[in-house]
Amino acid sequence: MPKTFSLNFVTPEKQLLRALPVESVILPALSGEMGVLAGHTPMVVQLGFGSLRYKADGKEEEFAVLGGFAEILHTEVNVFAEGADLADEIDEEEEKQKIKHAKDSLSRKDADIDFEMAELEIKQALTRMKVKKRRLQ
Amino acid sequence: MESLRDIRQNIKAIKSTQQIMQTMKMISSARIRKAQDAMENARPFATKMLEMVADLKQEVLTFPEPDDGKESWASRFFVNKTGDPQRLGLVVITGDKGLAGSFNAVILREAVSFLKKHQDKEIFVFCIGKKGRDFISRFRKKNIQIVYSSVGIFPKVTYAHAELLGEAILKEYFERNLSSVTLIYNDFKSIGSQRLVSGPVLPFDLFPSVKEEDETEFLFEPGIKEIFETLVPRLVKANMYRILLESQASNLAATMNAMDSASKNAGELVEALGVKLNKVRQAGITNEILDIVNGAEALNG
Repeated sequence: MPKTFSLNFVTPEKQLLRALPVESVILPALSGEMGVLAGHTPMVVQLGFGSLRYKADGKEEEFAVLGGFAEILHTEVNVFAEGADLADEIDEEEEKQKIKHAKDSLSRKDADIDFEMAELEIKQALTRMKVKKRRLQ
Repeated sequence: MESLRDIRQNIKAIKSTQQIMQTMKMISSARIRKAQDAMENARPFATKMLEMVADLKQEVLTFPEPDDGKESWASRFFVNKTGDPQRLGLVVITGDKGLAGSFNAVILREAVSFLKKHQDKEIFVFCIGKKGRDFISRFRKKNIQIVYSSVGIFPKVTYAHAELLGEAILKEYFERNLSSVTLIYNDFKSIGSQRLVSGPVLPFDLFPSVKEEDETEFLFEPGIKEIFETLVPRLVKANMYRILLESQASNLAATMNAMDSASKNAGELVEALGVKLNKVRQAGITNEILDIVNGAEALNG
């Protein structure tokens, strides 16, 4: 049996995981993916957009994470994500629609739109799609 | 004396109002369940985040001061030595509608006493909810200025609302060099009771619940400065989100209670009017009988 540590995963809206014993976590740090095993040095990591995967009981689960933080302690890891979606629940068609919609509103220059919002939306949708694709492989 | 018709109309009117009140009560009680769930779901994020920052206590206290002798960003946030004592922020969270008992009144009363107490200072107000905005904007005083307002967000508060409010507070706090920001809102204790809370948002009271001295040393990725600059605003937003949800649930609970007692009162009124109606009707019948008897006697006589 590999050593386990507990994983807490929260978003502003919801607690996704509470003290789940896991064997490993891969975090989408700003500078690239980062793997964490039990007994890691305490650390605070800023998260970018990407995939968060963890192994519990030999099974791997995956989330698309949209920015946030992770606090790594000796026996637990706390992940604070701005937004998160379970990879298996991501609908690629829906994400494509969102991207199309955001691009449309960006191309209509006259309209009163929030460029940052639209760009963020595209970025989020792309992240979700990427995670979904990875998951399907 | 009122005629039978008048009383009947009166009863009908009260009954239909009562129906509206009962419906409003039902709507609130249906929504309150959801609001409470949202509140409970949002709590772990805010509390976990506070725990994390509390873990970083050592790092925060020894945060490097900038070379130019100015107060560092983190220190402004947590301690604030250089804010202008003549400039204050005030966040007022009320509902959009009345019909909620004293829900808005207690908040506005507290806001007025705050404004009176700081008459000689410049006050920048953030209003959530129509009642508060309308009330504050009626003050035509030079020293009171509404810098942010948002109406119609209840009963559908999302994290995006909290982000906007949090960003506005932080922006004004740093740009206008406020010395503190105070918040007035109703805390949700239970469906039966809400508690008025008036307390500081900024500078951020970092260690209300730090237990033992924790000597863990942390690594930071990317750097401590970058982490703090993104983490700290999030702390405020997560906190604001929790507070908006608390207000939302309290507002619904207050509406529910107010409508409950109002429809009870309406029921009592209807009952009293019913008695009156019967009396008037009986009096009419007695009069008619008297007329007939008198007429008969006159004929016999």
